[in-house]
Amino acid sequence: MTKTTKIEKKLWQFVCSVKLAVIIIIILAVACILGTLILQMRPPEDYVSRYGEGLAKLFSAIQFTDIFHSYWFAFLLVLLCVNLGCCTIKRWRNTVLQIGFLITHISIILTLIGCFIDLQFGEKGGVNVYEGKSVDYYLNRADYRKIPLDFQVYCDDFIIEKHPPKFRLVAFVKNKDLQKVIPVKVDKKINIPGSNYAVTVKDYYQDAEYRQEPINESNEPNNPAIYVQMLDSNHVTAEGWLLAKDRNWYNDSKRDLKVEYLWADNDEDYERLAKTVGKSANPKLDITIEGKNIHKSMPVEEGKSISIDGTDYVVEIKQLALDYANRASPLREQSLDNPAVSVEITGPQGVETRWTFSKYPDYWDKAHQAKYKDIKLTCSIPDDFSDAANRLKIVQNKGGKQTLSYLNDGNLISIIDWEIDKSYEIDETGLQMRIVKYFPSHSTKKEVVERSDNHEGHNHAPGEHAGTPAILVEIEGPRGRVADWMLANNPPKWYPDKNFALLYEQSGMVVKDYKSILRVVDGGKTVMTKTIEVNDPLKYKGYVFYQSSYDPEGEKYTGLQVTRNPGLAVVYSGFILLCVGVVFIFYVKPFLRRKLKKGQKVEDYYSDDEIAAEHIE
Amino acid sequence: MDFTLNVTFYVYIAAIIAYVVREIWRTKTLRWVAFGVFSGALVLNTILVLTRWYEANHAPMSDKYESFVFFAWTIALVYLIMELVTIFIARVHESRLGIIGALQSLLSAWMLHSAINTDSTIKELPPALQSNWLVVHVINYFVSYSALSISFSAAIIYLIYRAIYRGRAQEIVMSGSNSQLRKDVTFDKLAYISVTIGFPFLTVGLITGSIWAKGAWGTYWGWDPKETWSLISWLVYLAYLHLPMILPKTKIKKTFAPILLSIVLLVAFPIVLFTFMGMHKLPTAVDSDHIYAE
Repeated sequence: MTKTTKIEKKLWQFVCSVKLAVIIIIILAVACILGTLILQMRPPEDYVSRYGEGLAKLFSAIQFTDIFHSYWFAFLLVLLCVNLGCCTIKRWRNTVLQIGFLITHISIILTLIGCFIDLQFGEKGGVNVYEGKSVDYYLNRADYRKIPLDFQVYCDDFIIEKHPPKFRLVAFVKNKDLQKVIPVKVDKKINIPGSNYAVTVKDYYQDAEYRQEPINESNEPNNPAIYVQMLDSNHVTAEGWLLAKDRNWYNDSKRDLKVEYLWADNDEDYERLAKTVGKSANPKLDITIEGKNIHKSMPVEEGKSISIDGTDYVVEIKQLALDYANRASPLREQSLDNPAVSVEITGPQGVETRWTFSKYPDYWDKAHQAKYKDIKLTCSIPDDFSDAANRLKIVQNKGGKQTLSYLNDGNLISIIDWEIDKSYEIDETGLQMRIVKYFPSHSTKKEVVERSDNHEGHNHAPGEHAGTPAILVEIEGPRGRVADWMLANNPPKWYPDKNFALLYEQSGMVVKDYKSILRVVDGGKTVMTKTIEVNDPLKYKGYVFYQSSYDPEGEKYTGLQVTRNPGLAVVYSGFILLCVGVVFIFYVKPFLRRKLKKGQKVEDYYSDDEIAAEHIE
Repeated sequence: MDFTLNVTFYVYIAAIIAYVVREIWRTKTLRWVAFGVFSGALVLNTILVLTRWYEANHAPMSDKYESFVFFAWTIALVYLIMELVTIFIARVHESRLGIIGALQSLLSAWMLHSAINTDSTIKELPPALQSNWLVVHVINYFVSYSALSISFSAAIIYLIYRAIYRGRAQEIVMSGSNSQLRKDVTFDKLAYISVTIGFPFLTVGLITGSIWAKGAWGTYWGWDPKETWSLISWLVYLAYLHLPMILPKTKIKKTFAPILLSIVLLVAFPIVLFTFMGMHKLPTAVDSDHIYAE
């Protein structure tokens, strides 16, 4: 025998050997462990920041950053297939007892071949379908390429089914680092184990809410407030509290009227407050030039312009709107809702017009392409800003003076004393005004009350009626008993010693299922309609459509995952054969061996390997 | 519920003691006392599983708490069946299962202890878990884990015995037994038998998991950490089953081979436990949707 044939024979024996199989199995297992310890398929900078420059380079060189799709991993699997194939052929002795051995080995080869077919010829992607619309394509997962389908998929409806919400009461003991869920059972005292606290739920409302009740705390004018009603031919058109030191104005944009409630500390103040319009903060525009550290501020007055020093820009204010949606109407008729300022920027590249929104400073920049990207605009419009011509000023002072003054275009028209519960005509506007209550020290009491109005009736879909429950809890602890109402999903309630707290919150998964009603139209004809849900996809022409996501904002579209697995049948036959084979080897073969070969010696029908493998003595 | 859970836990502790006592004195009455205490714990555990099933309205194996209770139950069940089989069918002396009962009830007690410290509020099943595969997949896995845990315990006992009766192999076989044995089983053999019982279940669990993933997520294999680690445990037991064929051809001494195999089992079962409970510790776990919610 020549040397080469000897080596060839040795190589063949090695390729056929169980030894190689065990080596591959161990390497595969180690590779799998590494694949879960090292982050996979991340951008290169992640590896540098996590493992340092040197290791990161090494990892990407030996493909440790994507082990399961690396060449060496694929090589190992191919080698495993070859090894299994050779091994099976070499060891086959044509006996019933070896069926399991044959099936399991073939099944693994089949599974791997099926996976290979899917990787090579399979497709995978996703597509969003709006309700009532259709798609005839999907986006490939790897590169977002549009891949056409030769049929259309309509989404007739997308439904999120919800469970009725559940609530739980959780107790925390701070110094013990303990957290415990307490069952909500009325009048059952529950001792918190390992601590000296006990909790009793005293009462329960299935659907409750907070009610705020205004109260007067004293006769000292600490927080003066009045309850004002506006009447139009004896019908109340608006009413509410005005707090001198807080929200003290009411704008009636329809009647071009601003009502103010003011408190004067001295007579001088009183004169000023009652008889003049007074200054309120004015809208302001802030201009920032990025990269140049230039900040400018200007009052918002239509037609006013400034040039920015150090740049070629001129900024001009074109328009102020208190309600952007209503910007075409006169300013006086707009109520302060979404204030915005229109600005014209003149610069080296011509004129650019922008709206800048007080509440959404980034909106314009995100939604439009700006010519002058370095200019950032923000505007601030005070909450009580009003351009109204008619002013009604309710002024009080410590001395007991209380007057009602009416001003028009800055001129004082009338001034009278007012009393509780009397109606006063407001000159020229045709309105009356009445002050119903006066609280020198206004405060509010927050109270949990049961919701009595059947606000939704009983005709709601399952899970739609989301009431907020409330419980009356009594906590016993080292500082005695404390009882209070808790409305669900509010901040935790602390016991006076600040060591024990209760939290009443919604718990658990609320979504029961995502469902899409899909309709497949092929050649102009509806060929299939199916309601898909997670775990129940639609199959058509080799494509499978899975429910995978949805429009989180409006629930207007459904997110479908689209796959085509031409190797699936092969993979699944591998799976089934593997199960059958393994069960045969370990559950059937041992009995078969005893039954078939009674009286015969094991060595006569078993190979040495089998005797070793099955620990037969 | 809480009360039953605590009682069950203490009965498992009692079972540990009973099996240890049985191992030390080895009298006929004690044989059934230990078996009885462990069975009692199983009955209580069954009540826990069933009441949970009734209250939650879904198969009680979907979250951490339910898995712990269910795993404790399968551990006890599989062991007790095995003990009955060894006594009545295989006619092996009870000392052949020896102290394994103590280790198995210890494992059950550990699982229940974990359950006691886990949030037990009933959660609604997320859409992905609303599948009949859940039951098939999980039951297969827990039965296989239970059988594999026996192999782990047997491997420990085997190694301890080998350390005690160093070089006197015959004594390992015959130690402490004076009954009429039809045949005898050593602990390494018992470990192997347990693996052969558990491995088919492990395989079916892996495959049903893959088929379920295909239905729910559209991919039968996605290299998710949990998938990968279940493959790792499968590969390790696969290696264990193939190793005896190559060991005689290596330089490893024949008497050392069972020690090596026991060591493999000692490594393999912690991998299984890690697959079951440790996934959140992995750096890659953030990308997974397969891990029990904390």
